Amino acid sequence: MSFFFDNPLGITILTVAEALAIIVPVLIMMAYLTYAERKVLAAIQLRKGPNVVGPFGLWQPFADAIKMMMKETVVPAGSNKMLFLLAPMLTFGLAVIAWAVIPVNDGWAIANINVGILYLFAISSLGVYGIIIAGWASNSKYAFLGAMRSAAQMVSYEVSIGFVMVCVLLCVGSLNLNDIVLAQQRVWFCLPLFPMFVVFFISGLAETNRAPFDLPEGESEIVAGFFVEYSSMAFALFFLGEYTNMILMSAMTSILFLGGWLAPFGVEPFTWIPGPIWFIGKIVVVLFFFIWVRGTFPRYRYDQLMRLGWKVFLPLSLLWLVLTAGALMLFGWLPNAA
Amino acid sequence: MNWTLALPEIVLAVLGMAILMFGVLQKRHNPFHLASMLTVGAFLVAGMLVIAGPEGLGYHGQFTSDPFSRFVQVLVLVASSLTVIASLDYNDHANLRRFEFPVLILFATVGMLVMAGASNLMTLYVGLELQSLSIYVLAAFARDELRSTEAGLKYFVLGSLASGLLLYGISLVYGFSGTMEFDKLAMTLADPTKVSAGLIVGIVFIVAGLAFKVSAVPFHMWTPDVYEGAPTPVTLLMGTAPKVAAMALLVRAMATPFGHLLGQWQQLIVLVSIASMLLGALAAIGQKNIKRLMAYSSIGHMGYVLIGLAAGTPNGIRGVLIYLVTYVFMNAGTFACIIAMRRRGRSLERISDLGGLGKTDPMLAMWLTVFMFSMAGIPPFAGFWGKYFIFTAAVQSGMWALAVIGVLTSVIGAFYYIRIIKVMYFDTAEAAFDPRSASLSTLAAVSGLFTTLFFVFPAPLVGAAEAAAKVLFG
Amino acid sequence: MIAAVAFYVFALILLASAVMVVSARNPVHSVLFLILAFFNAAALFLLAGAEFLAMILVIVYVGAVAVLFLFVVMMLDVNFAELRSGFQRYTPIGLAIGFVLAAELFIVFGGWKIAPDEMSLRFAPTAANVNNTAQLGKLIYTDYIFLFQTAGLVLLVAMIGAIVLTLRDRQTSRHQNIARQIARIPADTLEMVSVRSGAGMTEIGIRRPKVEAAVPEVEHATTDHDHGAH
Repeated sequence: MSFFFDNPLGITILTVAEALAIIVPVLIMMAYLTYAERKVLAAIQLRKGPNVVGPFGLWQPFADAIKMMMKETVVPAGSNKMLFLLAPMLTFGLAVIAWAVIPVNDGWAIANINVGILYLFAISSLGVYGIIIAGWASNSKYAFLGAMRSAAQMVSYEVSIGFVMVCVLLCVGSLNLNDIVLAQQRVWFCLPLFPMFVVFFISGLAETNRAPFDLPEGESEIVAGFFVEYSSMAFALFFLGEYTNMILMSAMTSILFLGGWLAPFGVEPFTWIPGPIWFIGKIVVVLFFFIWVRGTFPRYRYDQLMRLGWKVFLPLSLLWLVLTAGALMLFGWLPNAA
Repeated sequence: MNWTLALPEIVLAVLGMAILMFGVLQKRHNPFHLASMLTVGAFLVAGMLVIAGPEGLGYHGQFTSDPFSRFVQVLVLVASSLTVIASLDYNDHANLRRFEFPVLILFATVGMLVMAGASNLMTLYVGLELQSLSIYVLAAFARDELRSTEAGLKYFVLGSLASGLLLYGISLVYGFSGTMEFDKLAMTLADPTKVSAGLIVGIVFIVAGLAFKVSAVPFHMWTPDVYEGAPTPVTLLMGTAPKVAAMALLVRAMATPFGHLLGQWQQLIVLVSIASMLLGALAAIGQKNIKRLMAYSSIGHMGYVLIGLAAGTPNGIRGVLIYLVTYVFMNAGTFACIIAMRRRGRSLERISDLGGLGKTDPMLAMWLTVFMFSMAGIPPFAGFWGKYFIFTAAVQSGMWALAVIGVLTSVIGAFYYIRIIKVMYFDTAEAAFDPRSASLSTLAAVSGLFTTLFFVFPAPLVGAAEAAAKVLFG
Repeated sequence: MIAAVAFYVFALILLASAVMVVSARNPVHSVLFLILAFFNAAALFLLAGAEFLAMILVIVYVGAVAVLFLFVVMMLDVNFAELRSGFQRYTPIGLAIGFVLAAELFIVFGGWKIAPDEMSLRFAPTAANVNNTAQLGKLIYTDYIFLFQTAGLVLLVAMIGAIVLTLRDRQTSRHQNIARQIARIPADTLEMVSVRSGAGMTEIGIRRPKVEAAVPEVEHATTDHDHGAH
């Protein structure tokens, strides 16, 4: 065993194995998220959804993937080729590297770093680059419009996400994701911080460009927004990135508010089920909400989106931050972590 | 930690935010006038707190309150109040009736108060930025006017460059001495073996950054354009309060932490001072626009003030403080007269527009004459006494050459000040100006009376300035 | 060893991208290189053990400031060839200033002397078992509270300034009053009427709005765009 912990080569092999152990399940989850989305939407709209490829259409995601790979990658003549191809890779790469700090069980993370939550916040704030670069490099008006919308939208909602995170951090006293989950052993933060939970979930929708905040794509107004010029694998990478980001956002929601891998109430029958299963279960529930929202709500108008971000969520999260800090001070609940 | 040391700043900032909230929430009437009045009230409250407040060093050596800082703070508060009063009339006519105007002046003033009490290079920088940023915005306040936005942009770009220089200097000083607190710097530098070339370069950068803020040559280029383009009350502000605060900062920084390096920075200040006096005197002669003229005049005045600093004695610093007081009042009065130059609702800025003012509006002409005589340094007006204290201090320190150049440039400068008087009384009369508002008349009268009657009882002011100056050389 | 290699790699990329920021032909590329430079600076912070600063650098500069930079640069149509036309003309002056600065630097380094007592302050070692986020927090909110709050005021002024200089109230724009929309209930606008089958409009009290007199064709064409308003 010491080979894996002392020898540089061993450490490298171990790290790669760890990375694969998390990326492969995430990708499989992502593939079936697309399937689940179509099935759930179909159920909401009284349709059947994919049901031809394989039993219950279960092979549909793979059929889609193969179709994507077989297609020709079209690079528009007026585009900036290098940036055009860089953008989807960036989007997908960022969506994947964020998983390095996600703890699946107590201490089960590739990198259990002290500033895990800041790392996640930093990575998610970089997501906008893939979109903005794609929009600009395509040299197309619709793509550029989509990129502009997306940039404004993501920068706006990051602010409230940041404040929500600070609220949680105040209650935990640490930036470490592991500590954040462990601090929820008595009660999940979604109860005491319920308004922040709602704000975080909705901002998460905006941050991942999901309906009802999918203005960057807006297929009925700016055709497909920033990826209108993309095809084949380049398009698939955007697609992968978007869905991986959704899963990431769900994972963050469950870590920050739903107690991560912890079993509800920490009592007998629930604790028999291992932590990672709980964690995945919570992610799935949050993902279901993502899809449910998409099936139910019409798209926001742009000014409404901005107003919601700046005039509702920002003051609300600031106010709640002050209240949280005040309550913690008043009742002496401040976690005295170093 | 004695947090009450910064009580005036804290109270003023909180009141500023309250006025801001009031302005935002007040929908029915235009809150400009009320917000301005409240701002003046806030200045009064802060002024009383400054006078009554405790003395000492606080906030881990970042902020200090002593007779020097209190002298400067009161002067800054007076200058800012005068600006707010002057803006009442101007903004009404220039369609700038927005409550943010006094609020920005208020925050600039907070910055200047912080500057006056800075006892750490970081405090110095933060205070300076707070002041500068507010004034950048104020300079561009008439945003639909090309000249004003250009002034704001120019001031902003050059000002940030100066801030960069200052910051670079601060980091050099920190790197070579290991501390940013004035007291500790003074202790460290008392030992000449610890002074290295890097530190001197740092001091040069700090002086350059501050020289920009007081618009001393060779960092004066922005002054005429910005003075001309900015709304006149903002020009009045730029000409008075920030100059006072930045000069105080320069004096404190040179006298306290770098006091032991007098020999190093003295030649620098002497050079800057001579260049400023010469440029102020010579370049102003050809000006046709009175705001540009005032810009060059302020460059010249800063040159005189720097003589006092170059003397490097308590008497010199006393001269600096007295000069700044007289300068604030004559400048405020002059700009009150400039704002009053208006025909059929249009503001005028050319010197020739003053033609025959002695016949059409003898009162305004009289006050402007008083200010011009005072600026030229003709006894018994206040401006003369400022120069008197400065030049005596220079002579006492054996800087004959500096004093002689100062007197010579005053004589050249007197030419263009007196030319304005000539235009008013001996040129052909133009149409009368629009009737003045009461606020401007009061402002001109208060400043004029101060300027005229300063020589009757100068004792309290001179005494306070002397006490303030002594602190720096304690 | 790995840390040393990582340091040189990051430092090299940082320097190279900094050079590219200035020399890239396309302004968008310049900004992208700037972002790369920020990234590598953050990586260097990480290597130095300042993890909090590293993350904040990425969040604030890369995640927010540079996005807006990119935004502006992409929207602006700056002709950089034209901007560069003065380059050749000013090269001699630039070189002269550069030479003077370099000479000064040599003089400075020749006289390099750090106040010896303060040497210990230069590499403030991090206390064991306290992560630097907590350390920073403890310093900023206690010893440096005055500077912290004043810096906050600077930001407030920046905010006021941005609003003052750009916000314009357009009289023509129609604002949505959400409270009014939500407060609307069916009873305000709907009237439930039970209609006898076969009853005419006049019988149940509903009348068609009066049809206005026909407008001439030509005039109609000019006012046509008004229809969009409803």
